[in-house]
Amino acid sequence: MATELAARISALSPVRWPSQSIAGAAVLLLAVGFSQVIGATAAVLAPLWLLGMLAGFALQRSRFCFASAFRDLFLFGQSRILNGILMGLLITTLGFALIMYQQVPFPQFGALPAEAHILPVGLSTVIGGVLFGVGMVLAGGCSSGSLYRVGEGYVASGVAVLGMVLGLGLLAYQWNWWWETLVRHEPKIWLAEALPGGYGAAVALTLAGLLAVFIAGLWWETRNGLFMPSVSKEAGDAPDGLGARLAALWRRVFAEGWSPVVGGAVLGVTGLLMYLAYQPFGVTGELSRWAQHATTSLNVGPGVLRGLDSIGGCAARSDEGGVFTATFAITVGLVVGALVAALFAGEFKLRFPRQRRRYAQALLGGLAMGYASGLAIGCTIGAFFSAIPSLAVSGWVFGGSLAGGAWLGVKILQRIP
Amino acid sequence: MELDVRGEVCPYPMMKAVEAMKRLQGAEEVVVVTDHAPCLQTIPPQAPRHGYEVGIEQTGTPEWRITLSPKAGVVKAPS
Repeated sequence: MATELAARISALSPVRWPSQSIAGAAVLLLAVGFSQVIGATAAVLAPLWLLGMLAGFALQRSRFCFASAFRDLFLFGQSRILNGILMGLLITTLGFALIMYQQVPFPQFGALPAEAHILPVGLSTVIGGVLFGVGMVLAGGCSSGSLYRVGEGYVASGVAVLGMVLGLGLLAYQWNWWWETLVRHEPKIWLAEALPGGYGAAVALTLAGLLAVFIAGLWWETRNGLFMPSVSKEAGDAPDGLGARLAALWRRVFAEGWSPVVGGAVLGVTGLLMYLAYQPFGVTGELSRWAQHATTSLNVGPGVLRGLDSIGGCAARSDEGGVFTATFAITVGLVVGALVAALFAGEFKLRFPRQRRRYAQALLGGLAMGYASGLAIGCTIGAFFSAIPSLAVSGWVFGGSLAGGAWLGVKILQRIP
Repeated sequence: MELDVRGEVCPYPMMKAVEAMKRLQGAEEVVVVTDHAPCLQTIPPQAPRHGYEVGIEQTGTPEWRITLSPKAGVVKAPS
């Protein structure tokens, strides 16, 4: 059966290098096996590892990219990936509300759901968002984007991740200044508490906001005369019989790219399950932990960072000890999931940019992203994709600032050939 | 003309493709050679705006040739 399936797949595809699929199957088996190893540390880590893998798989398959979602609005007038993000946010907003309601049924009394990403909102959010937006456009991908591209074999994305770790490390030394100057004075505004209508009003307002962004994106695309033209491709045979239908299904999931809306939906469900199992989706915490481990093991650590335990979000997880933690499971699992997806699709390749300046762009962009995500307590995932469904005002402010930063980044990028 | 953008990531392949279409104004075909899958989604929508049609051919794993050919009837001489 398996060989027949493989034969049918290779018959459908013009070029097929099955070695990548075999490697993909091997990595998948090893990674699923590893979930048992990591699960021995704490049971919750096994499902989190698999969810991280699923997130990476979905990101790779749908070529999801927060950087391009914001950047392409300004560069090409395209809102395609933005719609994927909106789909993910629609699912997580409804799901997060249910989870938060279980924890805090009466939001008006001032208690916040402990794990939700309700972050301080103020000037630090704006500075962080703008700086992050510039960085992700320069580096060619945000934090989750650079991580999953590492799994696909993009060497420059690895440089961007290194830059992020350095940037997070750098911020740690200056954190106490930011804390005293800005962050400690900034309120955590939770819509469910702030609005008289509680959860109902907060969810309705969030959904209305998402709808407004969707319509604005559509208007912007129409204004720019953009639509997906019909593309001539070699057409495969219409599926006939169980084997062929399975092969066609296989191709749709593993070989052809998913639409961003499908990717956003899978990512949304994944984020929701992560919250159910542990905490909302975030990747900055793990990178920040690497930075912290590096500096403290060299005995040049930044010392006590004030206020972090009162903030929550990605910051609260960065001081977890040991190697196998929840953030490790999610962040490293994401890279492995993207590797599996890229191998099955025959899209894995070690890619070295030809121009040396691309490495500098990746490093500088990564540095900016790292510093900014330390300041804003999260990246496009933690401070945006997990913050808006937490019904936090900070998510919207960070998102708007990201768009501003992306616009600025585009202006810079257009000057770099 | 052939644009070999292998090794380049978003948004450079699209920027270069759009630049080429703008410069050539339908006088010549543009072939983009890329190993960056997102281009398959981002370059096609740009083509009609510049009077081009799109064809995609997979030539490797991963490698694609995106052929942007001038639409009949809108061919303009480069100014």
